[in-house]
Amino acid sequence: MHIFRKFIFLISFLLLFSCNKEEPVYQLNQINSSSYNANKNKLKSTMQYISILYANLFQTALSSNELVEITNCIESIGDKEVAHEIVLSNFMNSQQVLIPSDSLMRSDLNHFIEETYKRFYVRDISEAERKFFIDFFESNPNVSSEMVYMAFALSNEYQFY
Amino acid sequence: MKRRKFIKKSLLGGAAITMPFVLPSGRLFASSGNRMADHVVFVAFAGGVRQQESVLQRYLDDSQAYPSAGNIMYNILDGAPPTDKIVYGTTNYVNGDTPIPKMLSQTLQQQGTFFKEVNASVVGHYAGVNTLLTGNYMFTQGLRNKPLTPTIFEYLRRLTGEKATKTWFIGNGIGNSIPLLDYSTHSDYGAQYGANFLAPIVTFGNSGDKHLKNAKVYHPEEELDPMYKMKYFLDNVWYSQGSALPNIGNTEEEKLQIKQFVRDMFQKKDSGSIAFPPISDSGDLQTIGYACEVLKRFKPTLTVIYLSNVDGCHGNFSSYLRSLHRADHGVGHLWDFIQNQVPEMSGNTTMIVAPEHGRNDDPNGIKDANAFYGYDHSDSNSQRIFNMMVGPGIDSNLSIGNENNKVGDIVNIAPTIAEILGFKNDIVNTGLLASNQSFFDLI
Repeated sequence: MHIFRKFIFLISFLLLFSCNKEEPVYQLNQINSSSYNANKNKLKSTMQYISILYANLFQTALSSNELVEITNCIESIGDKEVAHEIVLSNFMNSQQVLIPSDSLMRSDLNHFIEETYKRFYVRDISEAERKFFIDFFESNPNVSSEMVYMAFALSNEYQFY
Repeated sequence: MKRRKFIKKSLLGGAAITMPFVLPSGRLFASSGNRMADHVVFVAFAGGVRQQESVLQRYLDDSQAYPSAGNIMYNILDGAPPTDKIVYGTTNYVNGDTPIPKMLSQTLQQQGTFFKEVNASVVGHYAGVNTLLTGNYMFTQGLRNKPLTPTIFEYLRRLTGEKATKTWFIGNGIGNSIPLLDYSTHSDYGAQYGANFLAPIVTFGNSGDKHLKNAKVYHPEEELDPMYKMKYFLDNVWYSQGSALPNIGNTEEEKLQIKQFVRDMFQKKDSGSIAFPPISDSGDLQTIGYACEVLKRFKPTLTVIYLSNVDGCHGNFSSYLRSLHRADHGVGHLWDFIQNQVPEMSGNTTMIVAPEHGRNDDPNGIKDANAFYGYDHSDSNSQRIFNMMVGPGIDSNLSIGNENNKVGDIVNIAPTIAEILGFKNDIVNTGLLASNQSFFDLI
């Protein structure tokens, strides 16, 4: 009888505690994503714009002498859009400028435009922006990576940080 | 009922007549006056010019206590040049010993109206040009800030609807905050009514040769068009959340014209065909040459040319005399070029010449290589300037005022330009000018 009671107690204990089902815990994985427009609200100075642009296109720093010279050139022309376009197209004539080839761009348009947004705007592309560019590239087969880089470098968002 | 209908119709009709409408240019009303000329070229004969060496023609007699007087600005002013101790010309045997030959057969004084003694209350370079361009004394404004009240460029563009490429501000450099004077921060005006600024000796100088000259020429339809389409998309997305950039409002066509102009100037420079004056051995004279090219290309309604080499007077009086003589040579060349090389502007252009301020009565103690003393700009003598006007409808051979009788003020220049270009009433109605009087009102 005593053994039987012990057996009942053991069975009861096992029934009570061994079948306790664990509740699932749901968690979110951390994803690095920069916000839309990345909170840019400060206008770059001419020197900042040129040094950042140069580093972006040549993957090397601009010498201080050249930075002053280019800044003076931009200051000497009132319409800054015109001045930037002339300086930038002068950069594009250099052999050292580092731009993906057109064939590389066309081989993976999605990857190219994602990387371009990160390179120039330091943020992720939105789906609306992706759709515009993919459609634009597909309907304009002659658009080159250089033209895309020019458009980004001359855009207003690139003037801010 | 009939009465009610009548009142309703009258009110609607009245509103239609009196309500201002905004034209694409941003102007509210048609300009209300007739133009005396279709073009104004204003030479800010700047850097600080003493009356003694300019209008009063005292050369070394006053400044250096050396008995040699005479006129070293003989394209602008009547009067015989000095004959002794010539240091202001080009160099033959000794520095500056050969005066530059006269450009004009008739001086501007003979062709126009000359205010010999005009007041200029501010005596700093930036403040002086600021006042010339805004018609306002900027007593509270320092360097490195845009004008607080509108410039004459903005008045012209907003009140008459001129395009951006019809207003040019050409400086002989980018120092002294000069590039900031293309437009003001005034809330009703600003960048969209600004002038096209150009400092040609920088743009087309050594730095420009290195960083601007080899710019790629993109095909307008095949390359620029898709490039701009992408840029506009990016800008539209940005505008939905970001800040707008100041833009002086050149259209795409105007931007193309400016880029083409820059390319052409590099080519003309290489081929030696820029319209420089016969002597072009100074920054001021090079600036005049490029200004001539701007006039020929764009035929602007308003061009302001800022010269400032005479500022060397602080430490080199001989250099100041050379610069004064060269500025006169440049002005003579400019007037000759307009009359003979730009048919659209010939006989239809008024030129105004005025310094931004004067220079001191007493020297500063710094001697140059000729043992001549330099002069700064801080005393009451620095508040003395002149004003010369020449062009259609302007009295010829008329001189007003003298050393003992000041007539006119530097703030009268902005309304004078407005009167020549037919919008004086409009500019006066803005209520933003220090004086509503033009120089014509003082004759």
